[in-house]
Amino acid sequence: MSKKTIHIPLGSQHISLLEPVRFKFECENEKIVGVDSDVGFVHRGIERACTTKFKFDAIGYVVARVCGLCAITHSLSYTVAIEKLLGGEISKKAKYLRILLLELDRIHSHMLCLSHTCENAGFEAMFMRIMGDRELVMEIQELLTGNRIQFDYISIGGVNRDLDVQTAKKIIENLALVKAKVFSYIDEFTNNWSLSLKFKGIGALTLEDAYRFNAIGPLARACGLPIDVRNEIEYLPFDEVGFKMQTHNDGDINARNMVRLNEILNSLEMCENILRGLPEGEIFTKLKGKPKGEALMRFEAPRGELMYYVKGDGSAMLNRVRIKTPTFACIPAFSHIFMGEEYADAPAILASFDPCLSCTAK
Amino acid sequence: MFRKYRKKSPWILHYNAGSCNGCDIEILAALAPKYDLERFGVINTGNPKQSDIFLVTGPVTFRSRERLVELYTQMPEPKVVIALGSCTCTGGVFRDMYNVEDGIDRYIPVDVYVPGCAASPELLIDGVVKALEILEEKTKAIEKPFRLFKEASSENGIINRRHSALKVGEKDEED
Repeated sequence: MSKKTIHIPLGSQHISLLEPVRFKFECENEKIVGVDSDVGFVHRGIERACTTKFKFDAIGYVVARVCGLCAITHSLSYTVAIEKLLGGEISKKAKYLRILLLELDRIHSHMLCLSHTCENAGFEAMFMRIMGDRELVMEIQELLTGNRIQFDYISIGGVNRDLDVQTAKKIIENLALVKAKVFSYIDEFTNNWSLSLKFKGIGALTLEDAYRFNAIGPLARACGLPIDVRNEIEYLPFDEVGFKMQTHNDGDINARNMVRLNEILNSLEMCENILRGLPEGEIFTKLKGKPKGEALMRFEAPRGELMYYVKGDGSAMLNRVRIKTPTFACIPAFSHIFMGEEYADAPAILASFDPCLSCTAK
Repeated sequence: MFRKYRKKSPWILHYNAGSCNGCDIEILAALAPKYDLERFGVINTGNPKQSDIFLVTGPVTFRSRERLVELYTQMPEPKVVIALGSCTCTGGVFRDMYNVEDGIDRYIPVDVYVPGCAASPELLIDGVVKALEILEEKTKAIEKPFRLFKEASSENGIINRRHSALKVGEKDEED
């Protein structure tokens, strides 16, 4: 047994990664003793382009291209910040439709994360099953907005498409199907023996460390830290549609999966409540003027808190757009979790964080 | 034998050169049961040395361009490159941003362009099927024997090959 350490790189191009990120693991036999991460491969310069290239009314569609998975949260945060500066009030129906799409996006993003975690743990069949069922949600999104991934649904002053009766009926049908599937996943994730070997007790984060490393989103909620921006904001009526905080106490991969599954159930319930109690009214209010002043906006993306800072001086071009993304805030916690784990578990742990590097690098 | 199975099971190498994830998750969706790209024998590999189709998403960012070219050169011939998504084809919404190189065709030759933001799985499948045709053509072109020299010219009884070498891409007249 020598004390010599080996350096093993993971990425920037790797079969288990959707996006380029490079981790350099320092391994002692099989144990990881040091981690070095590099996340800047996909930096495109969107913040800079928002202040030089695009006018303020187009940026809502540009910032959606920061990330394909939480596109809706990005454009929503920006739009609400601008609406705050312009000083208009949007209709209640538009607010409800925004929440509907936000929650649909959360469902499909969590399902993708769960399936990807299973794939990286070597359970290909579960990956196929969840991906197949995820199409039910994608179908709804296509019906509602016209596109599967990049919706461009939210505009300054409301939303771009109305919900008709047939679409609402179809959505309720599909959501009921998804709900039954999610219960079967919960059964599988809690009782399957081979999944428990890969997930239970692996990649654990304690509550103190979650505080210390400033973890947010499902990563923090899996440690028992009840933080969720949906609980703290007022400009969208999350409490009216039945939001409930989901937490777990273990902090390992299994806990993160369970938090995600419970959040899917909660989101399904919220979507149903929205569709059954959708208020009447216009979907679009025209807002006039140019943004002047500063605004700060927070929203809960599928991965945690997303923050937008917008500053304008009364002209069509903004002075500053600052985006703080959830994965960026979680990187210290990621690096801490890898310490002392087996190298073979690294891809599964990485997938269970649900990292979004195109958000992080912008 | 290889020729037969290359067409039946092309392996895909996927590289994200700075895209927004939208197209990448559509690739996963295309491999999943509803669209089932795997029925064409397609499998997603991580190894450039075993791949036939290079699937690139995203406008090329400053830091990913070296890796893009490196992966392309590591793939064995014959190979086909698919540019997936609007921003991969032209730069799209990211065009003229300071860290973006406006599409992959500045760096590597592209065979199939698949537009859309994000490109839907149906379009992706069409693109892969098209790429299979191109792959077959390229395989035939590689295996076809070709001549290095034209008919030797003889002046004054001396055979001279100096002017009879074929240039790259030049057709032999007898073909």
